[in-house]
Amino acid sequence: MMLDPDLDPDLDLRIERTIRAPRPRVWRAWTDPLELARWWLPAPMHCRVDLLDVVPGGAFVTSMSEDGVTFGPHLDACFLVVEPGERIVFTNALDSRWRPADPSPVAMTAEITFRDHPEGTDYRAVVRHADARSRSQHEQLGFADGWGTVTAQLAAISEAAEELA
Amino acid sequence: MAQYLSPLDDVFAALADPTRRAVVGVLGRGPASVGVLAQSASMTLPSFMKHVHTLERCGLIRTSKSGRVRTCTLERERLAVVDGWLAEQREVWEGRTDRLEQFVTDHEESP
Repeated sequence: MMLDPDLDPDLDLRIERTIRAPRPRVWRAWTDPLELARWWLPAPMHCRVDLLDVVPGGAFVTSMSEDGVTFGPHLDACFLVVEPGERIVFTNALDSRWRPADPSPVAMTAEITFRDHPEGTDYRAVVRHADARSRSQHEQLGFADGWGTVTAQLAAISEAAEELA
Repeated sequence: MAQYLSPLDDVFAALADPTRRAVVGVLGRGPASVGVLAQSASMTLPSFMKHVHTLERCGLIRTSKSGRVRTCTLERERLAVVDGWLAEQREVWEGRTDRLEQFVTDHEESP
């Protein structure tokens, strides 16, 4: 198991998955714009891949749409590292023209690694986020609200469960 | 340890169960005894205790015993971690990985 001593549990996340498909297959799904558009956003949202220049410094721009007609911005990012078949690193802290950006909700750098696995591909994503403290301080005013939402939802679930019982 | 790698995983795992979510929902209105909670979940005390332990282990609730009564209290700060921006980002990336996995495995069988 790989341990990242520089991974901050308050800011970063890691996804590990064994995907039952060969590594070149998974790589293509990531780097072919038509394929990427098929899975990048959750249905029923439509995704349009505007720019996908998979080289270091290359542009990575996607748009989203609810009706498939009118598209709005989704991601405006650039690749930092590209090791064909093995690793992709991109960030939205620089936009596709390398202009320093302040993306919402928080800036991130994502590192995707693809390794061979007896059952297919060992797929990992490590996403490092900027310190959102200033943002969360701002949100702290609404903290009780956000909290209330969760509680209300949980209460609704429990009430529904009670009615069923 | 998996716990070290992602401290949120056990919170999500605990909340994945409808009985435990119901317990958290009830405790959102205030502390309650294990007996009352088990009754509202229509479960026997021994099988309900497993849920209590799971919730306690991941820090979503704390329990205290006074005489014969064990009272459960919600740890609101712990629950707040799943309501924050990082949990939201995790959900985005988990969903993305699910869809990628689905996409490449669906399209592999007909090469």
